[in-house]
Amino acid sequence: MVDDPAYAARGMRFGLALGVAAASGFIALSYEILWYRVISFASLGLSGAFGLLLAVYLLGLALGARIAGAFCKDDAAAGDRSHLRRLAAFTFVANVFAWLVVPAFGWSARIWDWPLALGAVAAAAALLGAILPLVCHFGIKPDDRAGANISYVYLANILGSAAGSLVTGFVFLDLWPLQQASAAVTALGMMLVVVLLALSGGRTATRGVGVAATVASGMLVVLMTPRLYDRIWERLLYKDKFDESSSRFAEVIETKSGVITVTNDDVVYGGGVYDGKINTSLVYDNNGIQRAYGIGAMHPSPKNVLMIGLASGSWAKVVSAMPGLEKLTIVEINPGYLTLIGRRKEVASLLTDPKVEITIDDGRRWLRRHAQRFDVIVMNTTYHWRAHATSLLSMDFMEIARAHLADGGFLFFNTTGSDDVMKTAMTAFPFGLRMYNFAAVSDSPIAFERERFRRVLDAYRLDGELVVDPSTEQGQKVMDDLMAYPDTIAGPPEEEGLESRENILARTKSALVITDDNMIPEWRTVLRLHEAP
Amino acid sequence: MRAWIYAVFLLSGFAALLYQIVWQRALYAIYGINIESVTMVVTAFMLGLGVGSVAGGAVSKDPKRPVLLMFSLVELGIGLFGAVSLSVFHAVGEATLGMSAFATFLVTFLLVLVPTLLMGSTLPLLVAHLVRSSKNVGKSVGTLYFVNTLGSAFASAAAVLFVMKSAGLKGTVQVAALLNVTVSLLAYVAHRRSQRPAEIAKVLTAAATESEAAE
Repeated sequence: MVDDPAYAARGMRFGLALGVAAASGFIALSYEILWYRVISFASLGLSGAFGLLLAVYLLGLALGARIAGAFCKDDAAAGDRSHLRRLAAFTFVANVFAWLVVPAFGWSARIWDWPLALGAVAAAAALLGAILPLVCHFGIKPDDRAGANISYVYLANILGSAAGSLVTGFVFLDLWPLQQASAAVTALGMMLVVVLLALSGGRTATRGVGVAATVASGMLVVLMTPRLYDRIWERLLYKDKFDESSSRFAEVIETKSGVITVTNDDVVYGGGVYDGKINTSLVYDNNGIQRAYGIGAMHPSPKNVLMIGLASGSWAKVVSAMPGLEKLTIVEINPGYLTLIGRRKEVASLLTDPKVEITIDDGRRWLRRHAQRFDVIVMNTTYHWRAHATSLLSMDFMEIARAHLADGGFLFFNTTGSDDVMKTAMTAFPFGLRMYNFAAVSDSPIAFERERFRRVLDAYRLDGELVVDPSTEQGQKVMDDLMAYPDTIAGPPEEEGLESRENILARTKSALVITDDNMIPEWRTVLRLHEAP
Repeated sequence: MRAWIYAVFLLSGFAALLYQIVWQRALYAIYGINIESVTMVVTAFMLGLGVGSVAGGAVSKDPKRPVLLMFSLVELGIGLFGAVSLSVFHAVGEATLGMSAFATFLVTFLLVLVPTLLMGSTLPLLVAHLVRSSKNVGKSVGTLYFVNTLGSAFASAAAVLFVMKSAGLKGTVQVAALLNVTVSLLAYVAHRRSQRPAEIAKVLTAAATESEAAE
């Protein structure tokens, strides 16, 4: 504490230092949460991108701290209230830079995807990082208690940071879309500047001008946010193909759990990643929905099915209507998908289907906390190279899944074309096959049986209508194609066909078995930039 | 001497971020990657660092205390915990599966409290050491914060570009633990060097006293 009366009288109060440290921590972490969301969408959730964002953010903070040292040369001036103006100026500029980072990602996307925008992150973080040392220098006496006082300021900064993470991540991003959340954080930053200016020394008139200018700037920033943040998700997804006049999503659902966007042709993107198309038709199959129907060909009577991941609801809708099914349990991590499904008539009935139980949770954690066994566990897993994909693809997860399979049950999941994932699945289980890019693995023999498939399809109805009506010419053709599909396992491997476990293991010898420890798919190609759709 | 301390603190920051990356991954595998779990883990880390900062500050109040020696012991403690951390996390994770969200948060907090408390204490300890000679808080905090955060920034880039790919989670914590032990040794050397002028002065004083007595 500042216990020298003279020092306290002319200096910045220690309590104010604590308050500024907390507020600046709140604002800095709030911005980081917003940037994290943006880079997550822009990079399609690449592990390497998160690491680089953190590296650049920390580098910025470090440089900012270094730059701040240059403003702390005048030892005698420590505690001088007039220095609050300097601190206010830093906070103001930091705030404006931080506010511009999200639009910078949008601009960067047109030129070189997201890496260019990391420069803006570094600049903003540098300015934000300068605040803490400045606060310490102005608020703490250089005596034997400096270490202790630093610790309180540091604690205040950390508590503010934690609060920023909680409030912005949990409340702001759940209540508002990104642009409003960002405007709110910027407005809070401007309020901090106003407080600093109001408490700084000097003439009242000068302070008044500063406060008025800051308030005006803050209002301008808030008013300009919709324009600068306009269609930011479209810009990040379409990159150089973004068109000012026509690029606009049909739907954007933003919650604390992530961003879901739907294009005008019903393609769903979760966090910027292709999540499937809203289609349940086997006749007009534009999303590989045949794989969902294929479950009926691989199990004699699936009554109790678990689905991890809901996405557009197309797969869930198909599985929920499977003949003989008694219960479909769905575990979805992002509640935003329920909103999407509720708005789509093709799949909306899922929300009221008495056979369907939907839980919002992490799929792996849910499995570890529940003991039920299932005839089939289905996962239309996201791309193997995305951050945290390992948690549903590793050998460790296969063991967790195995413990939840009923006798004769199988795990059926999307390997998204990864040999590592395919090898892991086929190594973990003694029986298995590939259907398109899906692996079906089990502790019991498993086969894709033609007659079983025919019987299932003959009885399969969606909302009262046969999924394949063989009485029509088109339906008969589709049925013929489907009945020829089991033969693909006998021929040379086709990308969209069936493949035996033995064949898969033979051709994936150079692939690696994924574990929670090695996280192979996430680190095999650390940085990859994607073409716009 | 200062350059030595800055280099030591840079390595300390490097190791700390490697732990953060690995421990977060390990905890997410146990408690899930939904927004609630992620926030819980991050908040637990932050609170641990904050509490550690206050502890470090409290210890550094007494000017007679050898803060460099304490820093050396703290780094050794972090390294020892780090070496067994993944096994500890795994065991606790298995034992706490069915707990409520709040209970899980408490367990996570306690789990990361020991290492983050130690990590959080390092900045005040070194600030106290530098301010004793420089008498400039802003420069001391700014420079220490700079080198420590720079170390963390390097670690983050190194982790995603090289370390995680080649060493996995277990290998990465072993690298970090080795760094902590190195930092501890280097800090101990710095402590001994900082003590030397005092020891020489003590010897000279004793010699002078003996000489006076002899006369």
